Amino acid sequence: MPMKDMPSAFSPAGALPLLILRVLCSESLHGYAIAQRIHVLSRDVLAVEEGLLYPTLQKMLLKGWVEAEWGISETNRKVRFYRLTPKGKVQLEQELASYGRITHAIQEVLRTA
Amino acid sequence: MRELFRRIYFLLHRRRLTTELENDIAFHREMAARAGHNNFGNTLRMREQAYEAWGWTWLDRLYQDLRYGTRILVRAPGFTLVAGLVLAIGIGVNVSAFSLFNMIALKPLPVRDADRLVRLERRSPDNYTSEMAYPSFVFYRDHARTLSAAIAVMGVPPMQLEDDVAATSASFVTANYFSELGTRAAYGRMFDPSMDAGPNTPPEVVLSYGLWQRRFGSDPNVIGRVIHIGRKPATVVGVTPFAFASLGGQHPDLWMPIAQQPYFIERSTVLADWTNSSVRMWGKLMPGVSAQVAEQELRSLTDQLRKQHPDAVWDHEYIQSSPGGHLEVVQPELYRVVAMVAVLTLLILVVACANVGGLMLARAVTRQHEIGIRIAIGAGRGRIFRQLCTESLVLGALAAMAGLTLASMVVKAVLAKIDAPKWLSAVPDWRVLLFTVGVTLFATLFFGLMPALQIARQRQQKTLARQILVGAQIAGSSVLLIVAALLVRAAEHALYTDPGFGYQQLVTVDPQLGHHGYTPAAARAYLEQMQTRVRAIPGVAAVSLVKFPPLGHITANSSIEIRGRHLMVYPNSVAPDFFRAMAIPLRMGRTFYPGEKHAVILSESFARRQWPGENPLGQAVGDGADKDTVIGVAGDAHINGLSDDDAAEEYWAAQPGDMPEMALVIRSAAEPGPLALDVKTISASLDGSVFPEIRTLKALYLDNVKQIEQIAGVVTLVGLAALTLAAVGLVGLVAFVVTQRTREIAIRMALGARPAAVLSAVLRQFRWPLIIGLIAGTAFAGFGSKLLRVGLYGVSNLDPASYVAALGMLALIASLSMLIPAARTLRLNVASILHHE
Repeated sequence: MPMKDMPSAFSPAGALPLLILRVLCSESLHGYAIAQRIHVLSRDVLAVEEGLLYPTLQKMLLKGWVEAEWGISETNRKVRFYRLTPKGKVQLEQELASYGRITHAIQEVLRTA
Repeated sequence: MRELFRRIYFLLHRRRLTTELENDIAFHREMAARAGHNNFGNTLRMREQAYEAWGWTWLDRLYQDLRYGTRILVRAPGFTLVAGLVLAIGIGVNVSAFSLFNMIALKPLPVRDADRLVRLERRSPDNYTSEMAYPSFVFYRDHARTLSAAIAVMGVPPMQLEDDVAATSASFVTANYFSELGTRAAYGRMFDPSMDAGPNTPPEVVLSYGLWQRRFGSDPNVIGRVIHIGRKPATVVGVTPFAFASLGGQHPDLWMPIAQQPYFIERSTVLADWTNSSVRMWGKLMPGVSAQVAEQELRSLTDQLRKQHPDAVWDHEYIQSSPGGHLEVVQPELYRVVAMVAVLTLLILVVACANVGGLMLARAVTRQHEIGIRIAIGAGRGRIFRQLCTESLVLGALAAMAGLTLASMVVKAVLAKIDAPKWLSAVPDWRVLLFTVGVTLFATLFFGLMPALQIARQRQQKTLARQILVGAQIAGSSVLLIVAALLVRAAEHALYTDPGFGYQQLVTVDPQLGHHGYTPAAARAYLEQMQTRVRAIPGVAAVSLVKFPPLGHITANSSIEIRGRHLMVYPNSVAPDFFRAMAIPLRMGRTFYPGEKHAVILSESFARRQWPGENPLGQAVGDGADKDTVIGVAGDAHINGLSDDDAAEEYWAAQPGDMPEMALVIRSAAEPGPLALDVKTISASLDGSVFPEIRTLKALYLDNVKQIEQIAGVVTLVGLAALTLAAVGLVGLVAFVVTQRTREIAIRMALGARPAAVLSAVLRQFRWPLIIGLIAGTAFAGFGSKLLRVGLYGVSNLDPASYVAALGMLALIASLSMLIPAARTLRLNVASILHHE
């Protein structure tokens, strides 16, 4: 499902929904943990801007890709954990596929041009 | 779709979700602090960005604007009240007019299949009649396959019920009338096509609910009782329901099956007469058949009918259908009236809007400061513009509610006054509500947009906008005032000038002998005896015969064109002494000899228009072999077209064959009141089965004039309302200009300017709008009022007196409402103003 109000897929910020979907794929996480996980997994290359994370999460909630439920954080605080919905899983598959296609295409251009 | 639901869910639970989001962010901040990062930005800004994801920001803004707008309006109660009232009048007048139109022509009758009902009428390029011969009706009914049913209604003069003093209104209808409409009787039963369609069924009558209440004391046992109508016994079979919806808004008190018409009106042959137009025809379209298709089929049937009965069909005749499922039949002629009324009411709205627009512009000055601050702290022009539009909408909505209330009051008053059918109610329906919303939006756009644009651009010093608004107000008011003046003049003219015949002492007696099967010879004998005996009544000055009596139920006319000017010609057949009896002067020539052939008398202005500057006597009239010679010229007397200055009369001598259709005109020396009783006695002794209709012309004439008086009254009221609005608007605008230029004026005065120069400096900008507005309004009224001619009783639509009076009054009021606030400048305390500087 293309989203008009989000940056296009190949700009770095545009990949955020995809990254969030991917890290939520294995387990449900709270907002801070999502940011941390992306930061760590990218070997400190990607730092998720906090000002972008929460609006994006809200949009994903609205799209029905993720759900939020109350849980207890590692610091023993009540906080919301975000979890992937079946619809979110489908979306992840689609975005992964189109991302793969686009990066492939970009590489193709870079190599042959 | 799911997403929309989620969005709405977010909106409904926004409070909880906001807390949750805040908690998320607070947690994030805690964790970040723990990790030693402190770059978490502006929390509020972030939260707002997150909200925006929900997509409800516009609603928030709208809510803000509405609240702010309401607060602004509450804080300026004077402005709100005046602007609201002005708009409410503008909207109210329009909604009232629309409500009435809706009631007449849009609201479907509460009957079965109202959308399939059509009214069918005979038309040809130069003829039109609302009624057709009964045998023609039967022919169409039996042959039309596009109609699932055909209904005929025969209106007749009021009939004698028992020995009542006043006659009772009555109609004959086909037996399927009630069953096609799905009418359920209040008591008893309605007619039934299987029982009441034949001529030999027992005579029956259905009573109206009103008659049953008034005349029969609401007695349910009246069903089955035998009553006498025109001395003929008939059984009451039913009573129509209280809120009965009938075709064409006709509400007679007695309903009888048309097949029994010859029983009630003895010796009548009208049901077999191909040339006597006697019934109004209605049809019900087959489901899925359009009116055009039905018209086409009827056209081919008309051609068939022409072959069988050439005398029953005109050249180029066709049957025209009009939507019939409303209170009134929607005929093309109705739209002209509607267009005229719509233009007038829209003018009121324009004046009101221009007025409020002026007020808004003036207020812009007081708000300059506030809006400046808002722009300074970052509000965009778009946002300011939207805010101002929202304010206008709030004002518009308030005015719309007031206008709607006003309109339903007007409709209620009208319903009470015209004794409307009970199914109509003054409660606005969805069409009226939709119209109100539409008009309000239109008005808001008109009065709110220009000021809002100007204010948002911070350019309220521009005088052009103000000048346009003043011009529009003046133009609109002048049209309304001119039309009002014309109508007032027409009413006055109708009341105080001689209509060309002596209506005060006239009585008409119409025995409708033709409907009673009289042969020409029998009719002649009847009428001669009647005339002789009426002449013998003391106080009778003259008696004569006429085919179409003045202000009668039936008129005949045809439209002709002389040198590009349309004339309505009313032909009539009269006895030789008709002109003397009617007190119509013979200007030239002579009257007829009895039964004279090939001779015609024309009305004065007709003759003058036909042969300007020539002697009309001896000229030939008519086309083909049968030319008639003009033997006389009579004074103009529009006896059947009272209000129409373009009416013309053509008289022929009554022929023996005309006798069954002739009526008497009686001229009494004094008040004709008691004549009626004497005439009744005479007619009873001549033929007990004939009940002539006796009408006093003075009453009819005054009724007729009362209508134009009432219309003139309403239009004058509306015109004065427009004038008041314009005056209020001008006072406000000029006062505003004065405030705006106080300092400049003070300096001028300090430097020794004379009062006249000061006034002219203030008022100069209004001079051209005033002049242009007056000219535009006059031009518009001059062209538009052509449509009014038919109703002006001979007053020209360019009547100079009306124009001078209306424009003079407007100019006077406008000047006064400009001078009074402007004169304030002369009393300014120059020293104190300059001191402030």
